Parts: sequence; C-alpha cells; structure tokens
Amino acid sequence: MKIAMINGSPKAGKSNTAFLLNSLEALISSGNELTHYHIIKNPPSEEAFSQLCQMDALVLAFPLYIDAIPSHLFRLLVELEEHMKGHKNEIYVYAITNNGFYEGRQNHIAFEILKNWCQRSGLRFGQGLGHGAGEMLASNDKIPLGHGPLKNLGKGMNLLADNINSKSSGELMLVNPNFPRFAWQFAGTHFFWNAEAKKNGLKKRDILRRL
Amino acid sequence: MKMIIHDLGQEEFTVLEPPSTGDTIVISDHGKIRPCIGCFGCWIKTPGVCIIKDDYQSMGELLSKCDEIIIISRCVYGSYSPFIRNVLDRSISYLLPYFVQKNDETHHQNRYNNYFKLTVHFYGEDITKAEEKTAQALVKANGINFYSEEECVCFHQSLESIKGVWQ
Repeated sequence: MKIAMINGSPKAGKSNTAFLLNSLEALISSGNELTHYHIIKNPPSEEAFSQLCQMDALVLAFPLYIDAIPSHLFRLLVELEEHMKGHKNEIYVYAITNNGFYEGRQNHIAFEILKNWCQRSGLRFGQGLGHGAGEMLASNDKIPLGHGPLKNLGKGMNLLADNINSKSSGELMLVNPNFPRFAWQFAGTHFFWNAEAKKNGLKKRDILRRL
Repeated sequence: MKMIIHDLGQEEFTVLEPPSTGDTIVISDHGKIRPCIGCFGCWIKTPGVCIIKDDYQSMGELLSKCDEIIIISRCVYGSYSPFIRNVLDRSISYLLPYFVQKNDETHHQNRYNNYFKLTVHFYGEDITKAEEKTAQALVKANGINFYSEEECVCFHQSLESIKGVWQ
C-alpha cells in the first residue's frame, strides 16, 4: 500500500508532530511504501500533488491551532482538493493531532473540518487520533510509546496503525496523557514558559505585560 | 473600537458599504501575510507582539482595544478561509502562555481585561449542514479561547446578504 506521511508542523526540525509521525511509522512501515512530505520544509510541487492523488492513504499530522488546522496546512488542503478532482482510486485519510492544552478532546473540531474536507475532495476519512499536552511529547522522547505518560497515546497509535495497515476505518480517539493535570500545568508554567522566557532575559512581569 | 477581519477583495468589501468611521480597524488580505511558525516568541521573547515583522504583527494588541470583532469569511470545510485562519493563528499574543481551567477544560489565561462580542459571517453558495455545524462549534470554541462575551454566527449564500449587517 502506498502511504503519504504528511508532516504539517510549522517547524522544519524537531517537533511534536515529527515525534508522532515517527512513532506511527515504526508500526506501519512493514509491507507498505511510505513517502514523506514536510509542507514547510518542501512546499509540494505539482509533481508532489500528482503523487498524493495516486496514494492509497494519506496520513496527516499537525498541531492544533486555535481549535482547528494551522493556516499553512489548511492552504495546502484547499489546493489538494482541486487536484483530487477526478482521481479514480479510493484514498483513505488518517490524522494525528496534538494540542498544547491537556485534553485530547479539544482536537475534535479539527477532525470535523477534515471530514468535511474529505467529503468535498472525494476521500474517505479513516480515523483520527487527537492527543493533549503536545509540548510534553518532545521532552518525553526517551520514554517508549505505551509507557508512563504516553500509555494512552501508545494504545491509540496501535489501533490507528492496525486500521491503516488494513485500510479500514475506526472511531475517533481523543486521549489525555497519563499524567495528572495539575502536575502537567505546574511543570508547564515553571519548567517551560518561565524557564524559556528566562533564557531570553525575561521575568514573569515581562511575560504578563500589557500593551 | 470595532474590528472587521475579512477575506474579500477591496472592491467586494467596498460594495458591502462597511462603516468608515475612525473607530473601526479593518484587517484585510494583501497577499503578504506570513504563517505562524510556532516559535512562542510572542509569549517568551517579545510578550504581546508577534516576532514576524509584517502588517499582522500587532494583532494581539489591536484585539485588546476592541469591544466588537466582526469576521467575514468564506466557509471552507466548516472553518474560516485560510487567510482568516492565518490572522487568528497570528493573534495568540492577545493571550498569556499560562493556563487556566474553564468548564473543566484547559485554556490560556487572558492577557487583557477585555471581553469583545464576536460575530462571524460565513458566506458560500453551497455550505452543507455538516459544515454549518462544524463552523458553529468552531466559533463557540474560539469564543472561549479568546474570552469573547458572546458569539454570533450567520451563514450567507451570497455577499449581497451581508450588506446591511453593520447596524
């Protein structure tokens, strides 16, 4: 099966989205032909659009932006709809999103938008996996999927991989990290936001400034 | 202050006879907006201002001056059009990076003590029922994240029917 792995992160290098795609890749690489696309690093050419129309499955991975799909990826979806007109093969769409909040359920509107896009483009929506606490993922890249805070994500990833491998559909999965919310929020405030601002010479009162 | 964010060409927008008073900010598409790069610079480098130097750098500050936001957007798969999405992506400096729980969900804290009315006019000739439902859910969720005091969503089959919504 020909599968397009589409990285919709705004970051060209290391990202939470790349972590999620790499984790999935380990579960679907056997017996499938995977082609990688990074829309910020290499904006798709006409040839790439033609290739995408010949795939058996598209896997889209992206961070949630303001409850929906980030604009750089959204522009590509609009363009891809035009290219998809007249394609003959049945193409399944699978998606993985991560949001910066804790709750995986906050990704649900992005999946509804994707389903509407599939409807317009003549594609079949296969399954979505939405995860919360996105910024925790990259810092956990030494913890294997399915363990510790990534236990739920690991389970969801296995189910998603099974459905991709069998080219079938499954229910939407919206999962939280296996980590208490208050501890995640405390760590986010002190070890991420305040610590990152401090590296730039800023204090908490600078972060809070009003203009 | 009122803000109108739209994705129309200049001529199409003028036909709608928008208010021309000095207390209205109009955000439109010059074809030069750059996408958010996910750097969080507007929170941890230059708090309150996007680090990307273009006409949309100060969206957060501008939103803080407004008591009403009106969005006019083509309805695209139940979302705003890519340009409007881009403007919103570039507006997170309106908020703080810190978290708060609202209705048992995590959101960002408010940077400003400002609560605007959010009205969205979606247009399109063939908006499906599913897209309408998605769009309503999206605006409601955006309203929670951007601390709007109320949200109003309207669907229009043509631009003509948006005329006269300014009163």
